[in-house]
Amino acid sequence: MSRQRTDWVAVRGVVGKDLRAVRRSKSVVIPMLAVPVLLMIVLPAVIGLSARATEGVGVDRLLTSIPGDLAEPILSLPEREQLIVLVNGYLLAPLFLIVPLMVSAVLAADAFAGEKERKTLESLLHSPIRARDLFVAKFLTAFLPAVAVSWLGFVAFAIVTNTIAWPVMHRMFVPTKLWMVMILWVAPAVATLGLSVMVRVSARTSTSQEANQLGGAVILPLIFLAVGQSTGLLLVDTPVAIAIGAVIWAVALVLLRGGVKRFTRDALVAQV
Amino acid sequence: MTTGLTRQFPGGVGLDSLSIDVAPGEVLALLGPNGAGKTTTVRLLNGVLAPDAGSATVLGLDPVTAGDELRARTGVLTEHAGLDDRLTARENLRYAAMVRNLRGPAIESRIEELLHRFGMTERADRLVRGASTGQRKRLGLARALLHDPDVLFLDEPTSGLDPTATRDVVELIGSLASEHGRTIVLATHFLGEAGRLADRMAVLDRGSLIAFGRPDDLAAELWDGMECDLDLGGSPSAAAIDAANAVSGVRDTTPHARGITIRVSTPDVVAGVVRSLVAHQVDVHAAVPRPPTLEDVYFEIEARRALETPTTTPPPTGPPAPPPMRKRVRT
Ligand SMILES: Nc1ncnc2c1ncn2[C@@H]1O[C@H](COP(=O)(O)OP(=O)(O)O)[C@@H](O)[C@H]1O
Ligand SMILES: [Mg+2]
Repeated sequence: MSRQRTDWVAVRGVVGKDLRAVRRSKSVVIPMLAVPVLLMIVLPAVIGLSARATEGVGVDRLLTSIPGDLAEPILSLPEREQLIVLVNGYLLAPLFLIVPLMVSAVLAADAFAGEKERKTLESLLHSPIRARDLFVAKFLTAFLPAVAVSWLGFVAFAIVTNTIAWPVMHRMFVPTKLWMVMILWVAPAVATLGLSVMVRVSARTSTSQEANQLGGAVILPLIFLAVGQSTGLLLVDTPVAIAIGAVIWAVALVLLRGGVKRFTRDALVAQV
Repeated sequence: MTTGLTRQFPGGVGLDSLSIDVAPGEVLALLGPNGAGKTTTVRLLNGVLAPDAGSATVLGLDPVTAGDELRARTGVLTEHAGLDDRLTARENLRYAAMVRNLRGPAIESRIEELLHRFGMTERADRLVRGASTGQRKRLGLARALLHDPDVLFLDEPTSGLDPTATRDVVELIGSLASEHGRTIVLATHFLGEAGRLADRMAVLDRGSLIAFGRPDDLAAELWDGMECDLDLGGSPSAAAIDAANAVSGVRDTTPHARGITIRVSTPDVVAGVVRSLVAHQVDVHAAVPRPPTLEDVYFEIEARRALETPTTTPPPTGPPAPPPMRKRVRT
């Protein structure tokens, strides 16, 4: 294998074109913004407001089903702070991973399968761009916005949560350590996982919609399993989150390596 | 340019042992019905597909090992022009330029020039979405020419075009062919444009090369002599037909409503026929030689091939099919 340098002009050309084109298709942009807004702004705001309105909702019953040492930090808080810390500090953190996952999967489907669907792949393959550079470009097309949306979403979340919870908490309690791990370590891993699944799925489908459906069928059960497990039991504390992130990174990178190997002109054009 | 180039697909042979050569500055037509292997040939020559057997050399480069280097010097108009509907015409060209690592004022003015030349200046800043097929093909051509390639591959450049758009595109291609020795490989199933543009033709059918050469040379191989149409101002009399047939060098006569079509061994035989007719008091209004068109040649090749190859498939219990015929044509 030749170790040639990446042609960044070509990579930027592809990424720039993809993002410009995606910005112009409402059917891609709207769901990509709606989900983060719902998860990162609307939901925490509703929780915060209801925590302010009510006098200490009984969270103890929920917390008794949780291993003592994990529930400890929450039970030791004043009663009216418990709901908001439980939900906005802990429960939302795993749920938040849907954002990088969805954004990267949708963009990857558009970048890989969409290129076939629009019949633009063949002319691209007839250009001198190296297959590996093309792969890098397509990776960045999905990865960068996924991480950017996640981080911006998180900033919005932190502002909304801290503002609304101020009368209850009288302090800034987000970001927590758990949130930092989620944002900086787990979210990029999940984005990579989503797009590496899509790379593989896109090789077998001819439209981005099919890719989304098939990809969704692969990814969503895993997500619900993970989210259900972790929120239900509140198992996710910081070390566990770090470990989960490491596992996701490992799976994603293995999938991605396989995807790069199969990403040759010959294989791509045979699918056209 | 190629020897024994073969590519198989799960469904069967895409291209079988193709051997052709193209001279610099030449226009080669790859002719054949759908599924003949034209697109596969273009992909193999530009290193987008890898051959199962055989090899090719394009611009002195092996498409398999030096594909990226080769593609930097070739331009392709694919069957579907392959433009992004969500970008404007100009953005599509800019994008293609960046993918080729071309930036800066030089390429900007090149884009401007091409948009102008291909009549796309008006549409330059509108989305490609609403563009007609003709506009797309022209824009695809402009994109294929961005980097002033040495070899241009055109895959079905006029499919889906109305007659006016076809004429425009054929004229454009004609003007491209005459530019500083650029080689053009034109894959098409339209004989008209191939006839107008091509120096040589390679006829493909189900992956096999069945004829390769200049239309005139192929015609000479197919037919003996040339055809000439004699206008006699009306249906010829039996005496007139006999008079024509009596001249030595006349191979064949076909009477029609306004005269006779004669097939002669050499052009000077025509003069003898005219003299003989006049001597028999038959007026000759005009004698028009009819050199075979590429179309005549193509259909004759197809017709002869149909006679050669049995159309019935062998019964499944029969012996295994013989290995595909290997053709090697060189000029
Ligand atoms: N990617 C592919 N997978 C399977 N078969 C293919 C593929 N591409 C071409 N073929 C087959 O190879 C043959 C030649 O195809 P093609 O080169 O596209 O013909 P043309 O361009 O002359 O219409 C056809 O029988 C076609 O079905
Ligand atoms: Mg074709």
